[in-house]
Amino acid sequence: MVNAIEVEKLRKEFKSYSSRAGLIGAFRDLFTRNYKIIRAVNDISFTVKQGEMVGYIGENGAGKSTTIKMLTGILTPTSGKVIVNGMIPHKEREAFVRTIGVVFGQRSQLWWDIAVQESFRLLKKVYRVSDRDYKEHMEHVIDTLDIGPLLDKPVRKLSLGQRMRCELAAALIHNPPLLFLDEPTIGLDVLVKLKIRKFLKEINEKYNTTILLTTHDISDIEALCERVIMLDEGKIIYDGSLQRLKANWGEGKQLQFTFANEIRLDALYALTNGLPVKWRKGEQANAWVAHVSPSLVPEVISRVVSGYDIQDMNINEISTEEIIRNIYEEGVVHG
Amino acid sequence: MFYVSVFFQYMAQYIKTKLQYRTDLIVEFVSDLMFQAVNLIFILVVFGHTQLLHGWTRDEILFIYGFFLVPYAVFGAFFNIWDFNERYIVRGEMDRVLTRPVHSLFQIILERMELESLLGGVTGIIIMIYASARLHLVFHWYDVLVFIVFVLGGALVYAGVFISLATISFWSDARSSIMPMMYNISNYGRYPIDIYNRFIRYILTWILPFAFVGVYPSAYFLGKTEWYGYAFLTPVMGLIFFIIAVFLWNAGVKRYRGAGN
Repeated sequence: MVNAIEVEKLRKEFKSYSSRAGLIGAFRDLFTRNYKIIRAVNDISFTVKQGEMVGYIGENGAGKSTTIKMLTGILTPTSGKVIVNGMIPHKEREAFVRTIGVVFGQRSQLWWDIAVQESFRLLKKVYRVSDRDYKEHMEHVIDTLDIGPLLDKPVRKLSLGQRMRCELAAALIHNPPLLFLDEPTIGLDVLVKLKIRKFLKEINEKYNTTILLTTHDISDIEALCERVIMLDEGKIIYDGSLQRLKANWGEGKQLQFTFANEIRLDALYALTNGLPVKWRKGEQANAWVAHVSPSLVPEVISRVVSGYDIQDMNINEISTEEIIRNIYEEGVVHG
Repeated sequence: MFYVSVFFQYMAQYIKTKLQYRTDLIVEFVSDLMFQAVNLIFILVVFGHTQLLHGWTRDEILFIYGFFLVPYAVFGAFFNIWDFNERYIVRGEMDRVLTRPVHSLFQIILERMELESLLGGVTGIIIMIYASARLHLVFHWYDVLVFIVFVLGGALVYAGVFISLATISFWSDARSSIMPMMYNISNYGRYPIDIYNRFIRYILTWILPFAFVGVYPSAYFLGKTEWYGYAFLTPVMGLIFFIIAVFLWNAGVKRYRGAGN
């Protein structure tokens, strides 16, 4: 099996009704409703090879979760083809889910009241894992994630970081060839994040596990994924390597100026008239950020400094985060 | 076989969870016992005022009530998923259930198991023993088997109706008040069926067959031969309604929309 995931023209529509305003509107809704068909996922196609680590990113509501839920067999697609591990997820759900592992960062797979190892034991039974396989595989997982001391504690007494590591271990009990991670590092501190990333890399190398990861933390993607698929309003707007994404969008530098006085955007554009500069409001008061190509940096700085009082200035590489934000804001990928 | 071993595994976990909270367990057990005792006294007092109801004696009515409590207890222990909408649909727990290689309904039944409900069955059996002693009923060895089959049949009727109702959540987001209403209707099954008019009798037999949980199977033990046909239909009705419920469930799961996160 070469492709772990094959998706072709996959579509998911939700029917929702928009309610009218006011009391009279509410009465009218009772009889005739304004149904609206919302396309959460709009004819997307992609394939993922066995052993790939893919970052699946997009704004909230872009359709990430919906896609993951179709890939894991939770939702039935409206139309299109989806084949994962050689099976159609929603058709042969019970056989299919034995070949995948799922971690939803915001939802626990473990039983709240019982000790972690009891949850593992139950899952071992549910996934029909033999004692030998369990011992061989899980000892290593427990070791690497450093959760040995947590095994006899009930889940409700664990911290978020501890719980998340246990969740990850739980998703791997049957050593699935394909792992779905939906925001696995949400709310975790840096150390735990690093540990989890290291672990994911390791199992990817050791077992050639395919990993599909959604996250809002771009550093996860940078650390793990060579390929990103970016989604916007249910459509794939970018599918390729992270390097290429950076190369297309990330050339240039960011100049951040903090001005002494308030300043207007058109004044800044007037100042850099004739140069290909893009200005954007910074996060602090009176802060503005210019996006320029490297060769123009001295020119822009000299014009700004000679024109206005400056309190502070920074020159930055454009971060991936920045790139992604630009893409979200503009909605299209050029180049 | 696999499902049986999973069942026991879940049951073991359930018991372990209960044992975790030691004081809770004791308090719960004592309060359950007291509840059942009060229930028992209440029933005896209420039925003490009834003498004859459409040709049924007080003790016969008491026996029906006692019998009813047993399948009801089995239902309460395993199939009582009244909070399905709230818990699994609104809170999105269904997502988790659907990513595990066991039938989703089976998993939910296991997760919502409440074995302490079985205590209610003990009350029921005490009432039945008391009533049958006063009625001088004679039982044969095979009556035990018939009893078990009828209890399972009755529990499946209950389970079928309530699971079918729970599947409404797959089609509609709104919380409905059908569940409490249905609990009310289900109580009608524990009174002699011929006290109702024909329309209600028809409904309680074929549409919402709660009569198969109480009065029909009891009629067999009470030796009311005119009702034997219905009595022996009990397991059949249980299976039919349960199978319908599973079909509705499977259709519903396909419509599951998930909760946003």
